[in-house]
Amino acid sequence: MDINLSNEDLEFRDEVRSFFEENKIKQGEDYFAWREGWFKKAREKGGWDVPKWPAKFGGPGWTPTQHYIWEQETAQVNLPFDLPFGLGMLAPILMNYGSEEQQERFLPDIRDRKVNWCQGYSEPGAGSDLANLKTKAVLSEDGTYYTVNGSKIWTTLAHMADWIFCLTRTDDSGIKQQGITFLLFPMKQEGIEVKPIITLGGSHTVNTVHFTDVKVPVENRIGEEGKGWTYAKGLLEHERTGLAGLSKSLVELEQLKDKASTVQRGNGNLMDDASYKSKIGELEIDLLATEFTELRSLASAASGGEPGPESSILKLKGTEIKQRIQKLTVEASGIYASAWGDKGVGPSFAKGGTAGYLNSRYFTIYGGASEVQKDIVAKKVLGLTTGKSK
Amino acid sequence: MNFELSEEQKMIQQSVERFVQENYDLTNRVKISSEDPGYSQEYWTAMAELGWLGLAFSEEEGGFGGNQIDTLVLMEQFGKGLVLEPFLANIVLGGGAIKRGGSPAIKESVLPNLIEGNLQVTLAYAEEQSRFDIEDVATAAREDGSNFIINGKKSMVLNAESADKIVVVTRTSGSQVDEDGISLFLVDATSKGIERENFPTVDGLRASEITFTDVEVPSGNLIGEKDRGFSILQAVVNDAILALSAEAVGAMEVLYKDTVEYTQQREQFDHPLSDFQVLQHRMVDMFMEYEQCKSLLLRATMETVQDPILAQRTVHALKHLIGKSGIFVGESAVQLHGGMGVTEELRIGHFFKRLLVIDSQFGNSDFHLDKFTSL
Repeated sequence: MDINLSNEDLEFRDEVRSFFEENKIKQGEDYFAWREGWFKKAREKGGWDVPKWPAKFGGPGWTPTQHYIWEQETAQVNLPFDLPFGLGMLAPILMNYGSEEQQERFLPDIRDRKVNWCQGYSEPGAGSDLANLKTKAVLSEDGTYYTVNGSKIWTTLAHMADWIFCLTRTDDSGIKQQGITFLLFPMKQEGIEVKPIITLGGSHTVNTVHFTDVKVPVENRIGEEGKGWTYAKGLLEHERTGLAGLSKSLVELEQLKDKASTVQRGNGNLMDDASYKSKIGELEIDLLATEFTELRSLASAASGGEPGPESSILKLKGTEIKQRIQKLTVEASGIYASAWGDKGVGPSFAKGGTAGYLNSRYFTIYGGASEVQKDIVAKKVLGLTTGKSK
Repeated sequence: MNFELSEEQKMIQQSVERFVQENYDLTNRVKISSEDPGYSQEYWTAMAELGWLGLAFSEEEGGFGGNQIDTLVLMEQFGKGLVLEPFLANIVLGGGAIKRGGSPAIKESVLPNLIEGNLQVTLAYAEEQSRFDIEDVATAAREDGSNFIINGKKSMVLNAESADKIVVVTRTSGSQVDEDGISLFLVDATSKGIERENFPTVDGLRASEITFTDVEVPSGNLIGEKDRGFSILQAVVNDAILALSAEAVGAMEVLYKDTVEYTQQREQFDHPLSDFQVLQHRMVDMFMEYEQCKSLLLRATMETVQDPILAQRTVHALKHLIGKSGIFVGESAVQLHGGMGVTEELRIGHFFKRLLVIDSQFGNSDFHLDKFTSL
């Protein structure tokens, strides 16, 4: 056992740092021009524009330690914004289950950030019980296209998306996990209606999406008809064992401590307040532990093994930690926690703090609510069954 | 960066695991604990012969040149059987202090005997008023020619009943709570003026209150420099925290696994208990706390091996989490075992008691949270 980074890893870290330093946005520089240039240069580094993609598809093919270093370093800087739907969610499915033709057709635009994707999974009647979905896709008699009817909900950024990857029901005769088909189609077309849902934080991020007789050519189907659940599930597991954003949380926690120490309390500041300080301490200790849980999980993946049981707790712990940071930010705001809207009053960090906290409540709901995650750990890791009367 | 044990460490891990499985069922443990001296002399000798007592000492000291990771490997397995043999008192505490501050003559006379299991040494540091503050030392050592004269009282001294020698933490200058002015001495347990009041602890181990009345000790028995003993004490306490935390992690593993097994067998309302989601989620929480403790244990241990001063904050973090989570896992195991959980018949209650004791030693959960946030 050894906690040291190897010389190669240290060199890699320096290389990442200097790349970030050299390619920082300059004062007065146009954001989108900078963003485009940044990804181009990252690509020239050997796939740094798609760090998580395998080498076979143009990714850098890093070791788990290098991925960890990358995550730590990116947490310290402002990278150009990116969305996970195409790059992190659809791309692995295309790589694993898509045809070569589909890979050639879709992956380059995803990589170039040219096409925005959204994810059509959840439905009004299918939340954490995702397989219960009812959006119907009927194959035409000549077998050339599907006709899609139904509704999706909680569709993040559907109002800005060019395409959707969508789970549809093509057969409801078997168990609910069977008969699900994975389709890709453009969002800007007749028969698709997107309606905003305003969440507690007052923002428009998620939507309902209604499909009325949307025609989708069969060549836009991933893999076989009826096997969509298998493809999507592989991804969900990938999502669960993925990095839990802990490096970012560590940086945010340090920022929170700085903020709290500017809040006066008597002769001292909020960081001298025993109960507040304890909450910050417990949060940081949980983070230190979870960070190592993540490293252990990366290490077992690196030695070629399946992700160990410890990986199953990363989403549970990681999301809870993020929520606690938001909660403590609101607490630090004191009386200004109740101010709403863009006009900031009180300390600068109070602005939007409560909205951020309210928005953070979905962290333990999306991608399978925490309770569902616990059901999965109970079943997969502890070997416990549910509801089988003896 | 890697989390793999060496081949040697893996072999030791397996051999300790086997030892615990073969010798430490509950009946045997209760029997050994209830008879004097509270552990098995036969097992202690076996541990010495297997080389376990010398793992964390250097080769010059008669050991095998290992470090805190080797101790972790041993203690985690010990935790799975609540091993009674006084490894912590002798090797981590007494031996740890001598290793760090003993003169060549003391090292030579004590360490090889300790490693062979022929001599026992413990550490007397706590006092009634000190609670968890290791710098709060009232027991005084007054210089008198070539000797020091020790007066005072030490509390909760582990395994003192069997100790041949005691490393005693004294005040040689400064005020009662100064880090400077603390000196450590090695004294014979049978010295004139030493009185031991022995008693069992909640977890079936042994401890003593020790009174020192005009106890004479030659100045050559100083462990470390006069007045500069605090840094040795702190390093030894940190090692003890790592060792106890490893034991706690082993104990927590047994508790969550026993609970998973029991709830699958026990039927109520026509279902195995494990069918009930509310119990499943409690067990998932137990499992998660165990894994988190294990992660932080590895982190604190690896950081200590790398740089013990920089690791101090993580060691505080570890003892906080171990205390809090250990008790959570213990209480949950008892709760999920229902009435059986509160009997002496099942081993889980004994594991729970050990975790309670571990929280009360070397600073409890709140104490270390406070230290953590102050650093």
